Amino acid sequence: MIVFDNVTKRYPGSIDAISNVSFAVEQGELIYVTGHSGAGKSTLLKLMAAIEQPSNGTVLINNQNVSKIKEATLPFIRRKFGLVFQDHKLLYDRNCFQNVALPLAINGITGLEAAKRIRAALDKVGLLNREKAMPITLSGGEQQRLAIARAVVSKPSILIADEPTGNLDKNYASDILALFKAFQQVGVTVIIATHDALARAEGENTAASHSKVLHLDHGKLIQAVSNTEVLA
Amino acid sequence: MKIWLTHHVQALRLVLSRFQQNKLSTLLICISIGVTLTLPSVGYIVLDNLNGLVNSVKSESKLSVFLRTNINQQSIASIEKTLKQNPAIESVVYVSKEEALSQLGAAQANKAMLSALESNPLPDAFFVAPKLLDASAIDALKNALSKIEGVETVLVDGEWIKRLNHLLLLGKKILVILAGLLGFALISVIGNTIRMQILTQSAEIELSQLIGATKSFIRRPFLYVGSLYGLGGGVLALLMTWLMIVFFNQTIKSIADSYQSDFHLQFLSCSAVLIVISVATALGWLSAYFSLSRTNKNTH
Repeated sequence: MIVFDNVTKRYPGSIDAISNVSFAVEQGELIYVTGHSGAGKSTLLKLMAAIEQPSNGTVLINNQNVSKIKEATLPFIRRKFGLVFQDHKLLYDRNCFQNVALPLAINGITGLEAAKRIRAALDKVGLLNREKAMPITLSGGEQQRLAIARAVVSKPSILIADEPTGNLDKNYASDILALFKAFQQVGVTVIIATHDALARAEGENTAASHSKVLHLDHGKLIQAVSNTEVLA
Repeated sequence: MKIWLTHHVQALRLVLSRFQQNKLSTLLICISIGVTLTLPSVGYIVLDNLNGLVNSVKSESKLSVFLRTNINQQSIASIEKTLKQNPAIESVVYVSKEEALSQLGAAQANKAMLSALESNPLPDAFFVAPKLLDASAIDALKNALSKIEGVETVLVDGEWIKRLNHLLLLGKKILVILAGLLGFALISVIGNTIRMQILTQSAEIELSQLIGATKSFIRRPFLYVGSLYGLGGGVLALLMTWLMIVFFNQTIKSIADSYQSDFHLQFLSCSAVLIVISVATALGWLSAYFSLSRTNKNTH
């Protein structure tokens, strides 16, 4: 589904953010990308979501080489992903309902169908009763859940989350991770980047099937552990 | 096709709701665009009406067609028929050489001079009023009349028409330059307004790009904003122009009455109204387009 073959990402005037990384992600897997701050986790996610292009190597998304996809086609590739950002990227001048509506608007889905989907997404993350609330009035955990609702509303096949538990207390973090696992159980590929100890422990001890931990250090993939190896 | 149409409806709704939220600033922008467009509109109306005024007095302008002295009555009748059939001629007046001599002799000062003459030196003549008063039409008519058999010479009577036409032409040129400069000012005003809006909505634009919005999806609302600013400004310009014309006509009527004339400034024709609105809307769209291109270039 997503294949990295010897991928390097170099930003102008800096060292390699990602260096010679190779791995594959299959449909329905739960992937934890771990590593310290600056290890290259966010860059890896951006490459996975076709937001960045590799400097060297090949990134394949559904057998399509990202480097060879025309610029005009890239937005349509990105629509396959549900993205949860480290800083949420919520629109603070719009209410919860309107925030979740944005990906649907981009896909041309409006009216009753959109409203039905938005409410279903808000219900999944436990925010159905806050649909009229402005994001600024939500707690950190609620804002994160709103961002997740926005990411899943267009029913993506891959959900990518960058540090989704970074700023949350333990209880909220466990709730969020449970939510991601629930999405994986219905067939969504979930990729979570984290340097959070709790999430890392969840990843390394997970009993969920089809899960994997990719551990990065200074842009290099130093460990790729599947759950079968961990359990053994 | 359905998605494309949905995106347009979405963009329009979004823009209208933002206008609704910022009524006062939207109105102020439209007023500034309207004022900018009012100047050339009023200028155009004044020039157009002056042109009409010149055409209304065109019967006073004439070409004098002098015939050969030895011409017979049959040829004179033939020339008169030719002149009356010419579509560029409004009216023809024949003055025989005898009539001309008697008109000349009516002046006391000429009597002594004329009594010294053995024969009538004056030619038979036609005085022709042209339909069109622009310089090129009069020159063309003069050339055509000079070629008629029996015509000795043709003189254009009324240099003032030429001068007035030149003045009107100068006025039109000034108006075109003024309209062009104001057009640039308009592009600058709308463009900067939209640029500010792009900057204030940069978070939404960035997010939309990340989650799969196409360039046209992002640009569309801003292009609608520009076009609607232009449209609103155009409508306000027409309203302001109409009010100014009504105001001017109150004074013009008093002046025209003293000349027993019913002259008054007429408002723009339907086609001119459509042109003003179309140009204003197009300028708004163009401003938004330039602004988006510039911001896009800077962002990258």
